[in-house]
Amino acid sequence: MQLIKDFVNGLWNENPIFRMVIGICSALAVTTAAKNGIAMGLALTFVLTCSSILISLLKNIIPSKVRIPCYIIVVATFTTIVDLVMKAYFPALYQVMGIFIPLIVVNCIVLARAEAFASKVNVLRATADALGMGLGYAWAITVISMVREILGNGTIFDVPLFGQNFTQWVIMLLPPGAFFVMGILVGLMNLITRKSPKNDGCHNC
Amino acid sequence: MNQPVKMVVVLMMIALVAGALLAFTYQATYPKIQQQAKEALESSVLKVIPGAEKMEEVQKDGMTFYIGMDNQGNKKGIAFKAVGSGFSGPIEIMVGYNPKEGKLTGIEILSMSETPGLGAKIKEPSFTEQFKGKSVKDEFAPKKDVKVITGATISPTAVAKAIKSTLEEVTKIYPVGGEF
Amino acid sequence: MLKEILFIIIGSVLVNNFVLSRYLGQCPFLGVSSKTETALGMGMATTFVLTMTAVAAYFIQNYILAPFGLDAFLQIVSFILVIASLVQLVEMVVLKISPPLYNAFGIYLPLITTNCIVLGVALLIPSKSYNLIQSIAFGLGAGLGFTLALALMAGIREDLEFADVPEALKGPAIVFITAGLLAMIFMGFAGLVPL
Repeated sequence: MQLIKDFVNGLWNENPIFRMVIGICSALAVTTAAKNGIAMGLALTFVLTCSSILISLLKNIIPSKVRIPCYIIVVATFTTIVDLVMKAYFPALYQVMGIFIPLIVVNCIVLARAEAFASKVNVLRATADALGMGLGYAWAITVISMVREILGNGTIFDVPLFGQNFTQWVIMLLPPGAFFVMGILVGLMNLITRKSPKNDGCHNC
Repeated sequence: MNQPVKMVVVLMMIALVAGALLAFTYQATYPKIQQQAKEALESSVLKVIPGAEKMEEVQKDGMTFYIGMDNQGNKKGIAFKAVGSGFSGPIEIMVGYNPKEGKLTGIEILSMSETPGLGAKIKEPSFTEQFKGKSVKDEFAPKKDVKVITGATISPTAVAKAIKSTLEEVTKIYPVGGEF
Repeated sequence: MLKEILFIIIGSVLVNNFVLSRYLGQCPFLGVSSKTETALGMGMATTFVLTMTAVAAYFIQNYILAPFGLDAFLQIVSFILVIASLVQLVEMVVLKISPPLYNAFGIYLPLITTNCIVLGVALLIPSKSYNLIQSIAFGLGAGLGFTLALALMAGIREDLEFADVPEALKGPAIVFITAGLLAMIFMGFAGLVPL
């Protein structure tokens, strides 16, 4: 039914990273190790889901003219909560993510879904959509992270895969590698789904 | 309620609730965050001063030092931070020093953004070990008395330079052969 | 002093280019880099906003947040709200004083609020403890570097239109691969200035 469709949409058809190509900054920056990908994916899913639920609940109360500042406050609040909790309980991960945790607030995915979807539908649908988009983002960046970690570090989730003689393909851990892996995976996704991406970036968010 | 008033009221209400929620979360996480920072600092100090089991922070002449002691209160060495200009950004180093013997007791790279697989090797014991027991009167010249990393000389050079220049200040406060 | 400013600018434009090295500003980098004109327009507008944001971030952090210990939990909210307001203000002012200028780059302004490069610069300034002049140089450098990356990509994409790109790679995929090559080239600037 509708809710299932809303959920699955973000996982595949309108996958934010590989199909809509939005929210890319963090997808390139933190994906140097599989565990970082998962952590970032969960952090974003949390912010996205909480924000979407709240915005959907408040959609009839927030006057249209001030909706953007209101959405921004909501998203920024949840982002700060994630920031503080990670600093307190996951300091090692927090160090790796750097400014990309606070940058969740300007992650195209969050604001775009709030404006385009959460503010227009009921809470259940907003939740389903947010979870779908968030988890879609999470699996996508985890795949990117795994590729980069395996090639660039020879490990997966910190478990060494190859023997002593494996030469690390270090560039995979650096910016050029991030771009190459992203490009190839988007291309692969196009091949698998036999369609080109729905959106050429974030220019209308 | 007319429109402008409603706009202001709603905006303010949301801002107030957000502010309260954030203040609450901050209060709740503050002790843990402080504890994490303290533990990280302590562990790096204890790492660079072998034999130290606890530390004490002192300020002397504008510099911060961490005195490492064993559980009986015997002082084992002092630690201080040095910052160098690396290949991709600043490198923060914790340096352990025993003034009585005039030697370094060890170093640990606290933070850096050097190239993985190349300059980042300064974090590895194969690089940091060479500073254990090194006399503070040494030249700290790369390739001479400081072993560099093949294919990456800027990162090790930055580390050597940082330690040397900070030592110049430190030895004025804690001279070789003196007490600490 | 001047040397330091120069290093900050060169550092942000070439050595640690915000798009190709710090991974910021990706969304407009992909979305607005198909034509050189639009790329330059977006770049200029963003540079303008970035420089002002740098000043705002400096004052807010040092005179409002830090003195009251609020920066640990109000930094994100206050910065992003200020950025959103700044962009609105700039849009209104530009429209009022120079309609031709508004037509040139005004349409990009609303998009700049969500450009992670703006909030990124705002957050980096307190962490580097820059003074006011350094902050302005940093914001300016970030904008110039962003514009450079966008302009380069636009130039390449205009030529790519006539190239035989494989079907699956058309669109964002080939842009990413091109970006990877650009990033590799920019890596050559490492060590140019002390950071």
